[in-house]
Amino acid sequence: MVSQQQSPRCEPNTGKYTAMPETPSKELMQALIDVAQSRDKKAFSYLFEYFAPKIKRFGIKQFGVEAQAMELVQETLTSVWRKAHLYHSDKGAATTWVYTVMRNASFDMLRKMKSNKEENISEDIWPLLNESQDTHHEYSDHLEDKQIKRYLDKLPIAQREVVRGVYFQDMSQEQLAHQLNIPVGTVKSRLRLALQKLRNEMGDQHD
Amino acid sequence: MIKHHPSETLLTQYCDASLATSLSLAVSIHVDMCPVCQAKVAKIEASNADALFSEEPVQFETVQTEQSESFEDFELNVLDMITSDDSIDEVYEVEPVSIKVNEHNYQLPRALTRISHSKFTQVGKLARSRVSLDDGALRSSLLHIDAGGEIPEHTHTGFEVTLLLDGEFSDEDGSYVPGDFIWQDGSHQHTPLTKDGCLCFTVVSSALHFNKGFSKLLNPIGNLIY
Repeated sequence: MVSQQQSPRCEPNTGKYTAMPETPSKELMQALIDVAQSRDKKAFSYLFEYFAPKIKRFGIKQFGVEAQAMELVQETLTSVWRKAHLYHSDKGAATTWVYTVMRNASFDMLRKMKSNKEENISEDIWPLLNESQDTHHEYSDHLEDKQIKRYLDKLPIAQREVVRGVYFQDMSQEQLAHQLNIPVGTVKSRLRLALQKLRNEMGDQHD
Repeated sequence: MIKHHPSETLLTQYCDASLATSLSLAVSIHVDMCPVCQAKVAKIEASNADALFSEEPVQFETVQTEQSESFEDFELNVLDMITSDDSIDEVYEVEPVSIKVNEHNYQLPRALTRISHSKFTQVGKLARSRVSLDDGALRSSLLHIDAGGEIPEHTHTGFEVTLLLDGEFSDEDGSYVPGDFIWQDGSHQHTPLTKDGCLCFTVVSSALHFNKGFSKLLNPIGNLIY
């Protein structure tokens, strides 16, 4: 299709057919979020079709061998499927995240070929979970959070479920009762018991 | 404030995984401590991703080879295999690890917490622990210098990266703060000295040469810090 738009300066035609589609950034981002939130296979096969040939091309450049390029495709896209929940759209484009996942997989493969080591250390070098950078300034809060999680783990499962639902997933007691298939009264009593226990464990400073 | 950063070349190699493992770790530790380099890394990764993953211009003559058909079969198989397992990989934040060297406590940088390192070997005010990375000719260590300690004047036949993790030290070129990433090669000569003690992560590519009279005899130190 010939563009009818007037450009301020009349560039000479370079002779190329410049039918360059934009990278579908929004669609890729949405697909990654759908995979993370609902294990959406259709969204994943869209990601797969988009990235697989491009990763393969990179792999051939990197390893010179097609079999290894295929392995990289498989490794990378397996991680995309299993680690999609680590992607945060506010941290950048889906393509950048997939790039880092691929880069890490490729690094571990190369290292394995060179030194015959089975350990994967790419995630020590480039953590996919970047909490430490974000929470650096709230270190004490962060520690406290961890402390609370530790106390939570000491609760009986039934009580823990209720505390998690109400305080960490922001569910109403009614929603939670529905989800757990128990009466609302039971939710209330479990919550009361759990909070009492937490208070005993943690001392009074949290009142 | 951190004044010494990895060069643009090192950062670029770090981002596309073409840098040796031990140097990548050094850069990673620095980047964790340095917002300036964090921003640079994010930018490089984004532009690498653009270069690889942006949509191609439409090809007018697409050559359909047999190979691309078998790739389609491969794709379908792999796609099915991957999505047949619904579980996710839980990734946990690494718990901080402390180490004790000569009665001083230090928190290990995140990047080193899951990589083992040997016991510290002591010579005078220097103590060194080897970081277990199989990385060819490169050796990585944790190097501790007690208060008032110095390393005799030396040059390097290869290169040496010193990443200050905790404490301070200074040499002929000035003083350093935690996070400073110092690259030295054959053209540099220095005598690092610390008033209050420090812990560094070092990557050394080749033996050090001690330049002055008595310190020429100090082979144990040479062996220790290489």
